[in-house]
Amino acid sequence: MSNEPVIELKHIGKTYFMEGGLSQEVLKDINFTVTKGEFVAIMGPSGSGKSTLMNILGCLDRPTVGSYILAGQEVSHLSDNQLAEVRNKSIGFVFQNFNLLMRRTIADNVSLPLIYRGMSDKARRETALKYIDMMKLAGNQDRIPNQLSGGMQQRVAIARALATEPTIILADEPTGNLDSTTSDEIMELFTDLNKAGKTIVLVTHEPDVASYATRLIRITDGRKEYDGLVKNYKELSK
Amino acid sequence: MLWLIIKEAWISISSHKLRSFLTTLGIIIGVGAVVLMVAAGQTVTLVINNSFASMGGQLVMLHPSFVVTSGIKSGQRPSITSQDVDAVRGLKGIEAAAPMIFATAQAVYGANNWTAALRGSTTDLLIVNKWEVEKGEPFTSKDVKAAAPYVLIGATVANELFGFNDPVGQTIRIKNVPLKVVGVLKSKGQDLMGNDQDDIIIIPYTTLRQRIQGSRIPNRVNFGFIKISDSEDMEAAINRIKMLIRSRHNIKAGAEDDFEVRNMTAMVETVKTVGLVLSILLASIASISLVVGSIGIMNMMLVSVTERTREIGIRKALGAANRWIMLQFLTESVMISFMGSAIGLALGLAISQIAGSILGYEVPISAWTLALAGAVAIVVGVLSGVLPAYKAMHLDPIEALRYQ
Repeated sequence: MSNEPVIELKHIGKTYFMEGGLSQEVLKDINFTVTKGEFVAIMGPSGSGKSTLMNILGCLDRPTVGSYILAGQEVSHLSDNQLAEVRNKSIGFVFQNFNLLMRRTIADNVSLPLIYRGMSDKARRETALKYIDMMKLAGNQDRIPNQLSGGMQQRVAIARALATEPTIILADEPTGNLDSTTSDEIMELFTDLNKAGKTIVLVTHEPDVASYATRLIRITDGRKEYDGLVKNYKELSK
Repeated sequence: MLWLIIKEAWISISSHKLRSFLTTLGIIIGVGAVVLMVAAGQTVTLVINNSFASMGGQLVMLHPSFVVTSGIKSGQRPSITSQDVDAVRGLKGIEAAAPMIFATAQAVYGANNWTAALRGSTTDLLIVNKWEVEKGEPFTSKDVKAAAPYVLIGATVANELFGFNDPVGQTIRIKNVPLKVVGVLKSKGQDLMGNDQDDIIIIPYTTLRQRIQGSRIPNRVNFGFIKISDSEDMEAAINRIKMLIRSRHNIKAGAEDDFEVRNMTAMVETVKTVGLVLSILLASIASISLVVGSIGIMNMMLVSVTERTREIGIRKALGAANRWIMLQFLTESVMISFMGSAIGLALGLAISQIAGSILGYEVPISAWTLALAGAVAIVVGVLSGVLPAYKAMHLDPIEALRYQ
C-alpha cells in the first residue's frame, strides 16, 4: 500500500436547487483522501447524503462546490462526455442490483465497457474471458444472466468492473440483493481483490459488510462524522 | 467503433423480432408503393412516347364537323372528299396528306381467316403515320388511281394468315375480292389504348371504295391525315388549310366551318403533360404511406428508449458518451429504414415487372428509382430516429439506473 492518493476531496459540497427558490444542501464541506490500495467503507443512515457522495465519487454527478481530484485529474467541472470518459477509464462500478444486460451473454456483459474504448471484438472477448475465469465463472461466458444465481451475477458485475482495470472499484450495497452466505462470499472476494492491490470504496448501511473494510468514513446530515479505522469505531455493532 | 455500434444495433433489433418486423413493414409498404407508382408513371410515359413516336412531326387531322348545325347545305351531311385532301396536298408547306377510310374486314387466305382493321388511303399514309415496309414494296399512286387490288398487311395479320410463310405475292380475299399482298409493314406493337397497331391492312382507298364497298360516293372519306413540314409554322399552315376547304365547300364569310382541323401535335403535348402530372400525383399519394411508416419507426424507437432506460443508464455509467448513445439509437432506426427500403424496393420492382408482363406493357427500371429508395432509407431513418435518440442521449444516468 503506497501513499499515492487516488481520491482527493476538498471542501466538496452539493446543493439541490428546486422550484420556488428552495434549496437543499445535501453535502457540506466533505474532505478526505483515499490512497492506493485502501479498502474504505462509507456508511450513513438514509438521507445522510452518502448516495450523493457516491455519485460524485463515481463521476455520475458533479459537486456544487469543491475540488475532486481523481487519479491526479481534477474532475469536478468536466463536461458530461468528459466524465463518461473518466468513468470508463477509472471507475469500476458494482451495483446492488447487478445492472447487467439481461438479454446479452456473460461475455458480452463483461466486455461492455470495452466497446467504448474502441477495442476490437477479439481483444474484448479475450479480456472478458480472462476476468470471467478470475471470478471462477469459467464455462458460463455464453449463458445469459437469468441462468445464473444472484451471487454469480454479482461476480459477473465484478468481472465487468475489473475488465477496464480501473483506478478504483466503487461498490454500492453490493450484497443488498444477496443472502447472507453469498454476501460473505462476495465480501471475501472484495477482500482478496484488495489484498491483490485494488483500491476499493464501498458504500453500505450494514455494519457486517462495512467490517470487511479497513477504513470507515461515516456521513451524517451531509457532514463527515467519523474517518478512521473500522475496528476503532465503537458504535459499529449498534 | 462504428462497426461495434452497428453490431449493437443489429442485436437490439433482432431481440424483438416481431416488433421490428412490424415496424419495418411500414417502410416496406411505403417504399414499395412509391416504387410501384413511379414505375406506373414511367410506363405510362413510355407508352405515350412510343405510341406517339409513330406520329413524329407536326400532324393535323381534317374531318367533317361532328356538330350538326342549322345551315346544312343541299340536305347533305358535312363531308370531306379525297379531292379535298388532294387539294390540301398541293398547299405550301404540306409534306403529305393522306385520305383515310376506316373499316373492318375479314381477310381470308386458304383455310385461315382473320378480322383486321382495314384502312383505305394513299401511300402518303406511310409518311404521315411513319409506317415502314419490311418485306416487299408499297403500292404506288398509279395503283391508287387505278384502284389496283393491292394491299399492305401488318405483322399480326401476316402472322395469323401466313404463319411462317412469306406473304408477299400471295393473294388474300376480302369480301370475296382477291387482293395481292405487295408488302408487310414493320411491327409497332401496342398503342396508348392497348390496341395492336400491327393488326392492320392498308389498301388504296379507291380499291376499298369501288371494289369492296361498292360505294356510290367513291370520293367521300372519313378524314384526312396531314403532315406539315417541320420548317413550316403550324398555325399558318392550319389557317391555309381552313381557307382552302372553306372555299372548296363554298362556305360564305361569317358562316361556320362544316369541318374541323384538329392539331394532333398539341393533343400529344397535352396527353404527355397529363401523363407527367399523373405520375407525380401517384407518387405523391404513395409518399403519404411512407410518412406513416416513418411515424411507425419513431413510435417504436420511443417505446424502445423508455424500455431500455436502465440499459442506457448502465451504458452511460460504464463510459458511453452521449454521442454513442445517440448514434446507437439513430443506427437502429436507419437500419430498420434500410431493411424496409431494400425489401420495399425489391417488392415494388418485382410486382411492377410482373404486372407489366401480364398487362403487356414494358415497365422501365430507372436508376432514379434505386437512388430514390436509398435516399428514403437514410432520410426516413434519420428523421424518425432523431427524437428518440435525443431523448436517450439526455437521460441522466443516475435517474436511469434507478428506473424500474
